[in-house]
Amino acid sequence: MMAVVIVLALMTVSPFFFIGLINKVKAVWAGRKGAPLLQPYYDFFRLLKKGEVISGTTSIVFKIAPSVNISAVLFALLIVPIPLIGSVINFQGDFVLFAYALGLAKFFTVAAALDTGSSFEGMGASREVTYSTIVEPAFFVVIGSLALLTHQISFDSIFAAVNFSTHYTALIKILLVASLFIMLLAEGSRVPVDDPNTHLELTMIHEVMILDYSGPDLAFIQYAAALKMTIISILIADLLVPSYLGLLPTLAVLAFIMALVFLSVGIVESLIARSRISHIPQFLFLMTTLSLTAFAVIAFFLFGVIG
Amino acid sequence: MWLSVYNFLIGVALFVAGGVAAIFSREKSRGKIFFLFAAAGQFFVLPGVVGTLLNGGQLEMPLYFSGPIGTAFLRLDPLASIFALVISVGALLASVYSIGYMKMYKGDRASLSSYYFFLGLMSASMLLVVTAQNAILFLIVWEVMSMSSFFLVGFENKKEDVRKAAIYYFVAMQVGAAFLIAAFGWISAVSGSLDFNSFSPFLSNSGDVSILLFILFFLGFGTKAGFVPMHTWLPRAHPAAPTGVSALMSGVMIKTGIYGIMRILLLAKIPDYRIVYGILFVSLITGVYGVMNAIAQHDIKRLLAYHSIENIGIIGMGIGVGMLGLVYNSPMIAMLGFLGALLHVVNHFTFKSVLFYGSGVVYSQTHTRDIDKLGGLSKYLPLTSLMFLIASLAITGLPFFNGFVSEFAMYLGFVKSFSSNTLSMSVAALLGLSGLAFIGAMALLCFTKVYGICFLGLPRTEFHSIPNEKEMTLLIPMGVLVIVMLAIGLFPWLGIELLRNVVMQFLPAGSLDQFEAVIPVFRTMSVVLAGFLGLFGFFFGLRTYLLRKREVAVFKTWDCGYQVGSSRLQYTSSSFAQPFLRLVAELVPQRIKVEKEPVLFPETASLESHTQDLSERFILKPVIRSLDNFLNMFSWIQSGKMQQYIIYGLIFLVFLLIWIFGVR
Repeated sequence: MMAVVIVLALMTVSPFFFIGLINKVKAVWAGRKGAPLLQPYYDFFRLLKKGEVISGTTSIVFKIAPSVNISAVLFALLIVPIPLIGSVINFQGDFVLFAYALGLAKFFTVAAALDTGSSFEGMGASREVTYSTIVEPAFFVVIGSLALLTHQISFDSIFAAVNFSTHYTALIKILLVASLFIMLLAEGSRVPVDDPNTHLELTMIHEVMILDYSGPDLAFIQYAAALKMTIISILIADLLVPSYLGLLPTLAVLAFIMALVFLSVGIVESLIARSRISHIPQFLFLMTTLSLTAFAVIAFFLFGVIG
Repeated sequence: MWLSVYNFLIGVALFVAGGVAAIFSREKSRGKIFFLFAAAGQFFVLPGVVGTLLNGGQLEMPLYFSGPIGTAFLRLDPLASIFALVISVGALLASVYSIGYMKMYKGDRASLSSYYFFLGLMSASMLLVVTAQNAILFLIVWEVMSMSSFFLVGFENKKEDVRKAAIYYFVAMQVGAAFLIAAFGWISAVSGSLDFNSFSPFLSNSGDVSILLFILFFLGFGTKAGFVPMHTWLPRAHPAAPTGVSALMSGVMIKTGIYGIMRILLLAKIPDYRIVYGILFVSLITGVYGVMNAIAQHDIKRLLAYHSIENIGIIGMGIGVGMLGLVYNSPMIAMLGFLGALLHVVNHFTFKSVLFYGSGVVYSQTHTRDIDKLGGLSKYLPLTSLMFLIASLAITGLPFFNGFVSEFAMYLGFVKSFSSNTLSMSVAALLGLSGLAFIGAMALLCFTKVYGICFLGLPRTEFHSIPNEKEMTLLIPMGVLVIVMLAIGLFPWLGIELLRNVVMQFLPAGSLDQFEAVIPVFRTMSVVLAGFLGLFGFFFGLRTYLLRKREVAVFKTWDCGYQVGSSRLQYTSSSFAQPFLRLVAELVPQRIKVEKEPVLFPETASLESHTQDLSERFILKPVIRSLDNFLNMFSWIQSGKMQQYIIYGLIFLVFLLIWIFGVR
């Protein structure tokens, strides 16, 4: 119980550290010194202390959206299983609630963007929902593959059972990790899907949707975005952390893998440019392809078509 | 005594009586008179319905007809009851809504009196459709339902497009009915009886005959429900009908098609596995195709019509999962599938009615159904806007609202199918799982579009008059349904307990413990959602607390420093949907016509886009054309010459004489 509370507390404070890590990697790669690792925390607290400027066009939807967003993502954190510790909330089919809670956050973020009546924000909103029509089903293919492999029906038990090793588990894990990594880039609005540092509203996705936010609301949104990436990195770690270690080594490996994931995000961002908007769906379909391949491999082996 | 079909029939009669009474009453009070009769009808209809739902078992009553019908049984079992509940409440709410909505048409005396007459007839016939268990009686009330709704669709018959839509609807319903007549005729002939119960053995033997029969039934009932490719009447008829009727048709009437399919499956007990995969496949296509086309629509009621198609697909997927569970002998999966399907029938009634009622409020105030002309309505219609938002969240299947509960049950059914150790079932489960997620993500796109463009932002065109929501009768039906939506969304086990006896009808005897086993999941969900709500309360409280003494300035929207644009610069629904529609351009083809002066700085320009229904072009049109060609070969029979017709008559008489004297 104690361990759960401590680990969850760590998870809730860590997201900005990982964002700082990405920025640091990018800076070092570009030969700059870069902002301090903890800069996102300073920004967060600075925003919390500020007042707000609100567009006169907006309605109540705009005001509640950031709170819905942050509570939905924190709620999702409670459902995600942490290696060896498990999840706070688990019941049959809990991953559906996980995906749909994030969907609720997305609905409100998009509606709030449309609430401002700005065509820039409409543009970002439209892209956000379009891309989620590709990512969402692919995520369920990932979960479906794991459910087929393990015959389990809750997040917790799926990931607890996934660590048995057969001769093809490694292949499946590679495919699914790659798949989830693409999801991380898409949901976290990172290069090549979206560039968080761009300065042209016409090309943004996530940043443009929140143009009109300021103060505590903006702080909530930024925290929620960072936490969402952290959650997906936990899912990736769930696939990779071995199950035979003790509590502390497991947590150390977990932290290491999560850091590695964010390091990779930073490296990807340093190495490649953001895609053209019209090319992004092709990149996202890669997630569908990878997860479907994983499903096919599992099905082939389980039902003896090959092997 | 209250719990009897006899009382149920009195309730049905009250609906008809209300319609007749409305004809003879003064124009102002027509709606109220009909409402009083409909409300009184509830007291007779609901006891039997609720009693059967809660206690199980069935109520029955024989009716004695002369002629071909003979003895016809009306039976009220749990399956009939859940549909009757939706029909009865739906008709009552539509009658309340009509009081306010039909004020738009005041002065049109003849049409208005027929409106309530046919509304009563339609409600009564729908109630009889779900209880009549005699093939001929069923077909009669089925036709009465189609006819009365045809007259309601054609209410504004002075407009040409309404007339066209009504006639299209009429033809579609007759084609559907033709399949049903063939199916019922065939099965009555082989079973030698008109009673539904006697059909059972001929549906359940898994031979090719039962499959052919089932296909006929599916084509007939599927036309009413709106399965692809028989769905084409929905996007025509729903926008044409007055909104109260659209809501009743979309929320309630198309479910009689679902009822028919479920009744046949219930009689079949365990169907052939090919039927099951067929249903799953058609439903998946229907769901995906419906929502994809919905995204491309600008007319709000046409868009909602396509969403009805989507939801019929979702319900069909639930039925498919249920059947899959039965075929592979897993009561748990079967239970989850039927539970999801039946709950979605109820849920879709609630949110789709609210969405149609909301669009009706918008239409009555702005006189347009074009989403791109609207905007900023949440400031003028705050209550409508709030209820429309809740219904949008519910239809998208997001947590806290009822749509999530039914889709969750289906998801769970699919995930459990992975443990079945059969390849075909696993693949079906994966398709279902990702298909539901795909439909959900597209619904999210579509409803952020509808809600965001219509209700948020600024008005895109000037209103004729300032919109208001003073008319309470338009809001009350929405309010009632929103309460139901929240109740099922927050306390899922309430809805599930209501459906217990209906679901048990489909399962093999002795699987009640399976049902009990799944209830804790939904109770947990209730608690968990309360936690979620607490989190939201905390953060919204924190925000309010932090901002309490600080300056919150109100300023214009940030538009990159450009502040003089008109509200028409806002994103439109077409531009919002464009990136997605480009992805699926092959499936939802759009014709875009751009006109502008060929000069450097054109002063006028226009853009039009039309969406084509692909299935209409590639499935329906070729079928109709080839039928047309075939039938044209016999057109010489109908020459238009009187002399020739007299010869036909003579030939017929001669044959008759030969038959009477020669053959007998």
